[in-house]
Amino acid sequence: MLAFTIRRILVAFAVAFTVAVASFLLLHLSGDLATSIAGPDASGPQIEQIRRDYGLDQPLLTQFLAWGWKALHLDFGNSFYFRERVIDLLAARLPITLYLGVIALAVALLVAIPLGVLAAVRRDTWIDRLALSVSVLGQAMPSFWFGLTLILIFSVNLRWLPVSGNATWKHFVLPAVALGYYAMPAVMRLTRNGMLEVLSSDFVRTARAKGLPPRKILIRHALRNAVIPVIALAAVQFGFMLGGSIVIEAVFSLQGLGQLAWESIARNDFPVVQAIVLVLAMIYIALTLAADLLNAFLDPRLRQ
Amino acid sequence: MPPRTLAAALLASLLAGPALAGKANDTLVYASDSEPENVSPYHNSAREGVILARNCWDTLVYRNTKTGAYEPMLATSWKWVDDTTLDLVIREGVTFHNGDALGPEDVAFTFNYVLTPEARTVTRQNVDWMKSTEVTGPHSVRIHLKQPFPAALEYLAGPTPIFPAAYFKKVGLDGFAKAPVGSGPYKIVSVDSGRGVKMERFAQYWAGSPLGTPKIGKLEFRVIPDGESRVAELMTGGVDWIWRVPSDQADQLRAAPNITILNSETMRVGFLQFDTLGRAKENSPLKDVRVRQAISYAIDRKAMVDNLVRGSSRVMNALCFIDQFGCVDQGVMRYPYDPAKAKALLKEAGYPNGFEIDLGAYRERDYAEAVIGYLGAVGIKARLNYLRYAAFRDTLRSGKVSIGYQTWGSFSVNDVSAFAGVYFRGGEEDLTKDPVVIADLQAGDSSTDPEKRKEAYAKALGRIASQAYALPMFSYSTNYAFTSDLTFTAQPDEVPRFYAASWK
Amino acid sequence: MTLPTDRAALAATLPPDTDSPVAAVIPTAARSPGAIVLGRFMRHGGCLIGGGLLGLIMLAALAAPLVAPHDPYAQDVSRRLIPPIWQAKGTWDHILGTDKLGRDYLSRLLYGAQISLLIGVSAALISGAIGTFLGVCAGYFGGRVDAAVSYIVTTRLALPVVLVALAMASLVGGSLKVVVLVLGFLLWDRFAVVARAATQQIRNQDFISAARASGLTNLRIVLQEILPNIANALIVVATLEMAHAILLEAALSFLGLGVQPPLPSWGLMIAEGKQYMFFQPWVITIPGVALLVLVLAINLLGDGLRDVTAPEGRN
Repeated sequence: MLAFTIRRILVAFAVAFTVAVASFLLLHLSGDLATSIAGPDASGPQIEQIRRDYGLDQPLLTQFLAWGWKALHLDFGNSFYFRERVIDLLAARLPITLYLGVIALAVALLVAIPLGVLAAVRRDTWIDRLALSVSVLGQAMPSFWFGLTLILIFSVNLRWLPVSGNATWKHFVLPAVALGYYAMPAVMRLTRNGMLEVLSSDFVRTARAKGLPPRKILIRHALRNAVIPVIALAAVQFGFMLGGSIVIEAVFSLQGLGQLAWESIARNDFPVVQAIVLVLAMIYIALTLAADLLNAFLDPRLRQ
Repeated sequence: MPPRTLAAALLASLLAGPALAGKANDTLVYASDSEPENVSPYHNSAREGVILARNCWDTLVYRNTKTGAYEPMLATSWKWVDDTTLDLVIREGVTFHNGDALGPEDVAFTFNYVLTPEARTVTRQNVDWMKSTEVTGPHSVRIHLKQPFPAALEYLAGPTPIFPAAYFKKVGLDGFAKAPVGSGPYKIVSVDSGRGVKMERFAQYWAGSPLGTPKIGKLEFRVIPDGESRVAELMTGGVDWIWRVPSDQADQLRAAPNITILNSETMRVGFLQFDTLGRAKENSPLKDVRVRQAISYAIDRKAMVDNLVRGSSRVMNALCFIDQFGCVDQGVMRYPYDPAKAKALLKEAGYPNGFEIDLGAYRERDYAEAVIGYLGAVGIKARLNYLRYAAFRDTLRSGKVSIGYQTWGSFSVNDVSAFAGVYFRGGEEDLTKDPVVIADLQAGDSSTDPEKRKEAYAKALGRIASQAYALPMFSYSTNYAFTSDLTFTAQPDEVPRFYAASWK
Repeated sequence: MTLPTDRAALAATLPPDTDSPVAAVIPTAARSPGAIVLGRFMRHGGCLIGGGLLGLIMLAALAAPLVAPHDPYAQDVSRRLIPPIWQAKGTWDHILGTDKLGRDYLSRLLYGAQISLLIGVSAALISGAIGTFLGVCAGYFGGRVDAAVSYIVTTRLALPVVLVALAMASLVGGSLKVVVLVLGFLLWDRFAVVARAATQQIRNQDFISAARASGLTNLRIVLQEILPNIANALIVVATLEMAHAILLEAALSFLGLGVQPPLPSWGLMIAEGKQYMFFQPWVITIPGVALLVLVLAINLLGDGLRDVTAPEGRN
């Protein structure tokens, strides 16, 4: 277990470092930084001054080290557009995206796991087929269309929920459903497969032979084992959701990280874009690391 | 970010009460698609910024929207000492939102500050006619002009709000952007990046202001980037007021029971600006006047006005809004829709099969797409490069745009200098730098004789048209849609005056 | 090292009837005669429906120049937003109506099929080439190569796809070519994971050892023995990635950085029709349903192919 843990952590660090290099390059590919920092009114000498002040005339490696050191201290420089510290912008927006992601994940798990269990228990019945159809449909609709349709039905026609913004928990319901829907199929399939596998295994058969009530077998034995891989998948899906919330945030005008990213891209505000890529990637790396370690702890077979 | 800050921010975002809109809460919530990069009126050129500026800051002079006459506001009187010296008497008893008294030092500080390079003023063309401003007495200031500038009062009545000197010096531009202070009818309570701005009626607003006393207690500006979300919010009562509703939607919204639609022509004019120097593309076909003329003939502006823009919009022939002072379209070359002529001109210029070109745009994507469609019909393959305004402006200024689908609202300044001057007087957004046009515009801007000004502008506008440096398209009309509880009137300068609005 | 999260990521592509991720992609049936697979294909409902629909859409796309009633780019702003034929003011001249600029909607839909399919197929080809190369290398050579590839895949998975695609498209400027390339370079991870797992399974089988013993070079072994044997698994992934690419293009177009007008991709048509969703819903519904059907067809076909080529996976 120790060897696995160390190896896994090393991989995480290597990946984090690579992502850092990539996002550093992203900023440098986006155009002449000195000109962008100086703003549209700056003259040639002013731009040169900024180039020297910011160390932009140094070799790329030196610049990367300086940038990396700052980034380690969560200093991502200033936004070209707002002329504000990038980290302040992120601090204001990240909670909203995290909150959205958590609710979306909860929605996905709460619907998909029971559906997956049902599909496994009632295998090859209409329930199974319905679950399958839901998952296939979920993968075939553009998310913004689905989101706008939710608005049309639940906000405009039924008036149950607000259209946009993030003032109360109610504002998060529709976007969370729209975002969570896309994570459901994978969770459902994995739960169903896990359940089928466990249900046909020896110890469930033994439990049945002992005459334990089916409900107890299902919950205490089968589900507990089937859910292990779902934890890892949930971590992966959570990471994907944070990255994929751009479209949903745009539709529901949620001022989270995704919206900030989208607007910053449209405004050529690359220090912000770069920091968001980095932060999202780090969250993903941390999540998958945690999930892998937890899984390996629960299931010794995975440790080699 | 320390976890505690994150937790606190998370909690705050959850506990914040719901945004309540409407008459019942005496809160007028208005929504628009983008936020100004900086709330300071000199540091953004977004229309949303102009709205904040006009509702939260006072200016020295007031232009009567009905008569067009210049009336006292923060300045009780003024006098031209000569063509380049203007003396003004500053009103006593006016206070800023933070309680500081407004005096001549504030005026001098504001105007001198925005002219310094460190101020990084975004709206330079609004202030760079001034050379300096000095305090000449306990209640008076003197503005020195760089050269005669007859439109000075128009600018003092618009995009030149007065800042509180002491406060600004203390907090700096960054502090000011987060907690701005003015002396206008509404005071800004909070600025929330990405979300919007909250305002409250300023209780100590000076009596006798030509703006009157505001009737609605609270204003809230919400940024909602998505147009359909804005309409849905209005339909469900989440916001009270939206604008720039596309004509198709406005037609349908008219039928909704609690929504009022108001269509009004604006000073905004859409135009195509051409990269005549070929900076964006080597051997750009746009360097050839025949190509630019061909493009001008190829676009059916009349059909666009009648079918797409609708409302009270009009086709423009000269590069300005027709009601602005000095905007003359008599005698300027006209380009009626004539695709055959366009094709002939292209052939003559050596492009019988057309060419490929980029077209940059930042708003009304439909209109830009229609232009692309018309160009396609004569063989010119245009690719749309659709950006946010700030990014569009930057790429245009750095010479990377071949055809720019521009729109300009003149900062609501009712003088042609605020339009043609921005694009053709040698400034950053001048893609042509034609010395003849520059000289004519300068003559017009600095002459004190109205007839001479008109004559000079007519020459400049005529040359812009005959050389097809730019193709004026049409004036915009905007559809305002708001709750029927609200009494709201629109002005052509595209500045919603919420201080004059009231609940029914 | 096989990371548990690899398994989890892989599971997202799995059919509901498989024990383990690896079993699903191992083409044990690959060496059975094609006729058997074809027979199974013909009996599999999902395959038939999916394949049939996809075939129809492809046919429509190919025949667009012949069957489209109008030029998809010809605009006439005086004939905007004519409703489709089943509505009160519809006309036979424009069966599906016209769009906001008066362009014939049916013609745009037909030409749009070309573009959406082109995006899906080309992106899947590019990502398939990258992913298969990496995956086969990792699976065949193992050891350090495997570790290196695992690390590359993990890095790629850590990057948020939509965000990076948007950033890249905005740096280079959105266009059909850019969208295809960006998606192609981003969506290869599942190919790599599947190709690696599949290669590992057959690496030590007798016929590979035999090939090695007879002195075949690694390249030839990979090309002649391994690739044909993992092809079925890769085709399954390819169909899913095709659908994925088509949907992502729609999202990019919605955010304004996908295919640029006046090209009619279905994603762009939905994005443009958004403005009319409250009052003229057919503008968004028609391309939306078209896209839904296309993606559904591809997914059904992909799921079906997996069942057909790996029937032992069914419990």
